[in-house]
Amino acid sequence: MIGIKRILKDIRVAWAIGEKDIRIYYAKPASLMFGILFPFSMFLSFVIGRNIPIDQAIPVLVAQSLFFASSSIGPVTIPLERRIRTFDRFLSAPVSLSTVLLGKTIAGFIYGAGVSIIPIIVGVVFFQSIVTDFVALTAGLVLSALGFAAMGIMFASIPGQGPGQVMMPLNFVRIPLLFISGVFIPVKDLPVWGQLLSMFSPLTHSIELVRGGLGGQNFFGPLFNMAILTFYLVVFLLVGIRFHMVNQKKE
Amino acid sequence: METAIRTVNLTKFYGKLLAVDHINFEVKKGEIFGFLGPNGAGKTTTTRMLTGISKPTEGTAEVMGYDIQRQSVEAKELMGIVPDISNVYTDLSAWGNLIFTGRLYDIAKVERERRARELLQLFGLFDRRHESVQGFSRGMKRRLCIAMALMNKSSILFLDEPTSGLDVQSVLTIRNLVRKLNEDGLTIFLTTHNMEEANQMCDRVAIINRGKIAAIDTPERLKKTIKKLQFIEVSFFGATKNLTKDLKTIQGVTEVAKHGDKYRLNTENSPKVLSAIWEYASANELKIHTVNTLGPSLEDVFVKLTGITPEMKRKGSELGIRAGS
Repeated sequence: MIGIKRILKDIRVAWAIGEKDIRIYYAKPASLMFGILFPFSMFLSFVIGRNIPIDQAIPVLVAQSLFFASSSIGPVTIPLERRIRTFDRFLSAPVSLSTVLLGKTIAGFIYGAGVSIIPIIVGVVFFQSIVTDFVALTAGLVLSALGFAAMGIMFASIPGQGPGQVMMPLNFVRIPLLFISGVFIPVKDLPVWGQLLSMFSPLTHSIELVRGGLGGQNFFGPLFNMAILTFYLVVFLLVGIRFHMVNQKKE
Repeated sequence: METAIRTVNLTKFYGKLLAVDHINFEVKKGEIFGFLGPNGAGKTTTTRMLTGISKPTEGTAEVMGYDIQRQSVEAKELMGIVPDISNVYTDLSAWGNLIFTGRLYDIAKVERERRARELLQLFGLFDRRHESVQGFSRGMKRRLCIAMALMNKSSILFLDEPTSGLDVQSVLTIRNLVRKLNEDGLTIFLTTHNMEEANQMCDRVAIINRGKIAAIDTPERLKKTIKKLQFIEVSFFGATKNLTKDLKTIQGVTEVAKHGDKYRLNTENSPKVLSAIWEYASANELKIHTVNTLGPSLEDVFVKLTGITPEMKRKGSELGIRAGS
């Protein structure tokens, strides 16, 4: 009974942290730039001048938005809160560090999911896109947004007092992943070694699920995509919490 | 009297740097306990360990009977923290800040709204509760910060330099509020540079220097430890250039310092030095404006124990402010 009460309390507190982040940080220039402008410009540079059918372009935009938007909130909020010392409020509050990071993950999840739903709606309303597999699409959105938000939180453990100090190493990982995840070239068209490599990228499985959900082809299969995304979500969460704990010891 | 804080060999290393060195002290429930020390002495590090923000390298600390490491949630439920800078959310309103703090402590909606209203009224911020904190003065932000620390009806309040950099009116308001909170039963752990503030407000003080506790006692008992040392403060009409130098030559004077238009002479023999001053004044045709004999202040105790003069302390604070800004 005490355990359930504690879990419910942690969920309420995590939601309060997430909601506060939504109110304060969603419209901050760093969130808009790294979370929306950046993936949208990359998408434009990918489609402009190439005759790419809309049914192929929309999943790419959705997955890129999920990837960049979700993973940008942690690296914006945590360094800023460290700088103005509001992060100390969480450390001195009667909640665990995991609850605080869960709150931050919620904020990243809602941002990523919210931003990436827009191209789906645009596709369905204006370009006759059809949702053929609702489960795959929903799982793709939810698992990817959560996993990438947790990835952002993990990177935000890098000591620094500005989003730039976290974004730089994060982009060092995010941008190369675009090239091995079937974004620009579908996985089926990659050489075997490329397909093997793409299997290890969480972004591959996001695109696969979204593509499959919108009537496209899925190379690895939705169950495998979901399993890999769940695995990454757990790994990013656990490693992120561990890194932040190590940081707190150095405080 | 029951114990509010107890530390046993509390130690903190930053890499190889020993910031806090096996300190032991107790704070009693209901007292205002001052924690004094020069910059870099380990005051803030100790406060951060006591409040669970930082983990000790060695030793233990109990707050309101709970081990801050092993029972951190229980301990944190009973404490309020006001850090050295007002870490409020400037994008939110005063109301938003308080409500968020209430939610962070999982206080039920009706109760947190009632408490927020009560605190905003107590701290004189009620009329501006819906304005963004961005536009608040430093004193208002400080008051809001203290109000946020009281949202959870804490039993102990950690105040780190609560009046530093504020105007006189805000300083007086905050001091009165702190006194009132203490009268209502709240234990106060006050970290300050301001000796006069500690002297006026604290039941007991601890002086920390280079990570070690140099002394713990009531301000008056600490002053008595250097009772032998007395001061004569004298001002003259038409003081001459060489006055400091000349006053130093008076027998029994160990030190002379110019404080504004006054000269402060350290001595262990006030009557003898006083008559020597009169003689010196009449011999040099100087007219004495005022003369006072003073006992040692808490600042003198601080200087004696830390070896830091007020000038050094002031310069250190300025550097600290610059480094922090």
